[in-house]
Amino acid sequence: MNLAVQTFGITKKFGDFTAVDHLNLKIKEEVFGLLGPNGAGKTTLIRMLVTVLSPTEGTATVAGADIVHQADKVRERIGVVTQASTLDIELTAQQNMNLYGMYYGIPRKKRQEKINELLKVVGLADRAKIPVAGYSGGMKRRLEIVRALVSEPKVLFLDEPTTGLDPQARAAVLEYVKRIHKEHGITLVITTHYLDEAENLCDRLAIVDHGVIVAEGTPTELKRKVSGGDIVETDFAVLPEVALDAIKRADFVLGIKKRDSGLTILVKNGAEAVPKLVSLVDSNGGKLRTMTLRELTLDDVFLEITGRSISEDTNVTRRRFVGGWQGARR
Amino acid sequence: MKGALAVCWRDVQKFLGQPVLMISTFVGPFLTLILLGSAFGGAITHAPLAVVQESDGPYSSNFIQILRNEQTCQFGGINCQNAFQLIDVADLGKAQQMLRAGIVKAIVFVPLDFDASLAANSQVTVTVTLDNTDPLSAAAIGPEVAQAGQQLSSLVQTSPVGSAGLVFNLEDAYRNVLYIEFMAPGTFVQAIMFVSIIAGGVQLVVDKERGIIEGYLVTPLKKYEIVVGVLLSGVFKALFSSGMLFILAIVLAGIRPMNVFPDPNLGGIVLTIVTLFLTSLGLIAMMTAYAVRSSSADLYRVTCFPINLLLYYTSGAIYPLNGMPAWMQEVSVFNPETYAVHALRLLMYKGAGIQAVAGDFAFLATFTGLMLVLAIAAFRRGI
Repeated sequence: MNLAVQTFGITKKFGDFTAVDHLNLKIKEEVFGLLGPNGAGKTTLIRMLVTVLSPTEGTATVAGADIVHQADKVRERIGVVTQASTLDIELTAQQNMNLYGMYYGIPRKKRQEKINELLKVVGLADRAKIPVAGYSGGMKRRLEIVRALVSEPKVLFLDEPTTGLDPQARAAVLEYVKRIHKEHGITLVITTHYLDEAENLCDRLAIVDHGVIVAEGTPTELKRKVSGGDIVETDFAVLPEVALDAIKRADFVLGIKKRDSGLTILVKNGAEAVPKLVSLVDSNGGKLRTMTLRELTLDDVFLEITGRSISEDTNVTRRRFVGGWQGARR
Repeated sequence: MKGALAVCWRDVQKFLGQPVLMISTFVGPFLTLILLGSAFGGAITHAPLAVVQESDGPYSSNFIQILRNEQTCQFGGINCQNAFQLIDVADLGKAQQMLRAGIVKAIVFVPLDFDASLAANSQVTVTVTLDNTDPLSAAAIGPEVAQAGQQLSSLVQTSPVGSAGLVFNLEDAYRNVLYIEFMAPGTFVQAIMFVSIIAGGVQLVVDKERGIIEGYLVTPLKKYEIVVGVLLSGVFKALFSSGMLFILAIVLAGIRPMNVFPDPNLGGIVLTIVTLFLTSLGLIAMMTAYAVRSSSADLYRVTCFPINLLLYYTSGAIYPLNGMPAWMQEVSVFNPETYAVHALRLLMYKGAGIQAVAGDFAFLATFTGLMLVLAIAAFRRGI
């Protein structure tokens, strides 16, 4: 098996602060997602892998080259799409891509062909000759992604590729990313805040927190880490203490979290649990307003593992999950 | 009106929250006051004066002594300003060479028949050749020399020999150079400095903040390739800008450089371009190094303004260095713009050749080399 990325106890310290702590990771030819809250160390990890930062300790190989001793080789074999746009907005799409090709020393003719082909792939061929300043956010992102492909990299690093895009633009970008992986067989290493995105896009995921990997596996495997099946979101008009105790003690309940006016309840089997919950509340004098059954998401997994929600920037979610799971584990 | 107060409060708070910006609003103008105020209108002192003394006798020695006294300020008095710095030169040809190279501001030629004529009570002419490409210095030196002559005349008149006819012939070495022409070379250098600050520095700082430089670093581009690329584009922009200014100065401002008018002189034009090139490369490398090492874009922008003022006003661009306070003259010695302005003046108004500007080129080349080393080192250390 040919590993696209392998780290060997890679560590980065900034003064007393350890951003990445003896981290070991193996990435195959796949779409690999790095998840973690802000400050978890994922960006530091990526910056080391793309040779911008040198590790304090340990090393890694990327596309078969050592990031410390063969940084030049690594740079030739990777593509990087950073979170903040690095496009020259005064220049056209074609000029932007052409410059990139020149950085990699690609011959003119090959460069032109590649650029035309790639612009077609992301649906920008008809806009190739207007300045990027006139592009929408989604178009700019797509352009940045294909720009990184001009050099035919073996590994493409995407740092939060859809942050700041509206849902439609996000969907389009994700679709192109999937297509690029399928058609070009490039290993993609993606960091993201969006768990649904990670779930749909990635073959495997690693959850990074405090500079270490706290969980790793396919989305399905990760979800299995939270023992049990489904989530019931409830909202109460009245919830007496006795009803809450009864719910906590019920054998089909694996855990509960309090929200403003309701509970998020982790249950073994949603279909069986819902009627039982309703009667439990009724018989203890409680009054339900709403009750929703949903499947477990990565956010639940994330919360379970790191004790906090991943979407730090969406306050609603964070507030909702403050406190973590309560109740006994069965 | 409550809304207006809110808007006002917001702006004031933002202003108070940026100490660097706050300070810059008054430090810049204060520096202008100090620099421009000190630079402009000071009496020209210690103007280097070549004395060619062909005649040897009591009168000529007396005359030279009077000049020297004026130099050393032995007599004191209201005109005591250490006006000259006398340099004895063996022959007129050598003195003229020095004038062309800008080493002396004027030549006082004491002819062979000076003593004999004065002794014989006949008229004698002392020729004072003025470097009028520096109109302010020339205007100051002429009367000072004539005053020395008057002193001699009065001495001679009271002597038993009787009155003598001492005539001063003030001669312009070149065509009349207007003040606007005197000022023009400094403006070209100023254009280069603006490009260095904006294109060389600010853009780099912005690119650094936007992550474009980091974007470069993940490609196979070498660091030195990035530096060289940034510097080359800067030189291109600076040459474009100063070149356009040169053309505008000729077409609209009526500047008449000798190397272009009346007959274009290819050698002179090439040397002018070399001067502008060396100055561009040096200043851009300097500002690039500074920008790379600056902790923030704001700090860079705010500090560039005083740096620019200091270099411009101490370069002799707007007033002869001899008229400036000592501390400004000391700064000017290390100021690359001084040498650029000096070389450009020689080339534009004296039709100087390579020998005359060799010293300026040597300084500019050394400075540029040093700044290139600094710029590359700054990139190496991390951007």
